[in-house]
Amino acid sequence: MKADLYPMLMGAVAMASFVATLFFLRFWTQTRDPLFLFFSAAFALDTLSRVALAMSHPSDELEPFYYVARLVMFGLIIAAIIQKNRPRRTGRQGN
Amino acid sequence: MGPAIYLLCSAAAATCAYLLLQAYRRGGSRLLLWSGLCFVGLTINNLILVADKVIVPHIDLSLYRTSAALVAMTVLLYGLIWDAER
Repeated sequence: MKADLYPMLMGAVAMASFVATLFFLRFWTQTRDPLFLFFSAAFALDTLSRVALAMSHPSDELEPFYYVARLVMFGLIIAAIIQKNRPRRTGRQGN
Repeated sequence: MGPAIYLLCSAAAATCAYLLLQAYRRGGSRLLLWSGLCFVGLTINNLILVADKVIVPHIDLSLYRTSAALVAMTVLLYGLIWDAER
């Protein structure tokens, strides 16, 4: 029972992550705000890493490397927010 | 190597949650709130991962951590579907 539930839950999380990817991609096409592109890329990466984890049975030594993708995902989100909060240049300096 | 990666994942998820909720508190859109709440859930997911892999490796916590991730993503999807336009 427990062994059956884990892949199902992972599949559900991966699907939710994929739907979030598409939503953020749509927001990016509507607004051209790079924040949404970063979010879309981050959730796409999350989708892939969760599918990879659910479909393979990595050894204890290899498993942490699957989580490096997740670390990159969080890094993308942090980069997106920092980039969004950075003050914008007006483009008039030096004129 | 493994414990460091798991701990970094938790710290990075918590940082994301903090930055998103702080941006919402400064007057950002409602989407920041839902994203922030999602990352609170993903932080819990990664903290259970640390417990599962490092603290109590003899106890299988995979269902608990994956359930936390599912709740987190469901919160985000709710926000994206019902509340993103406000």
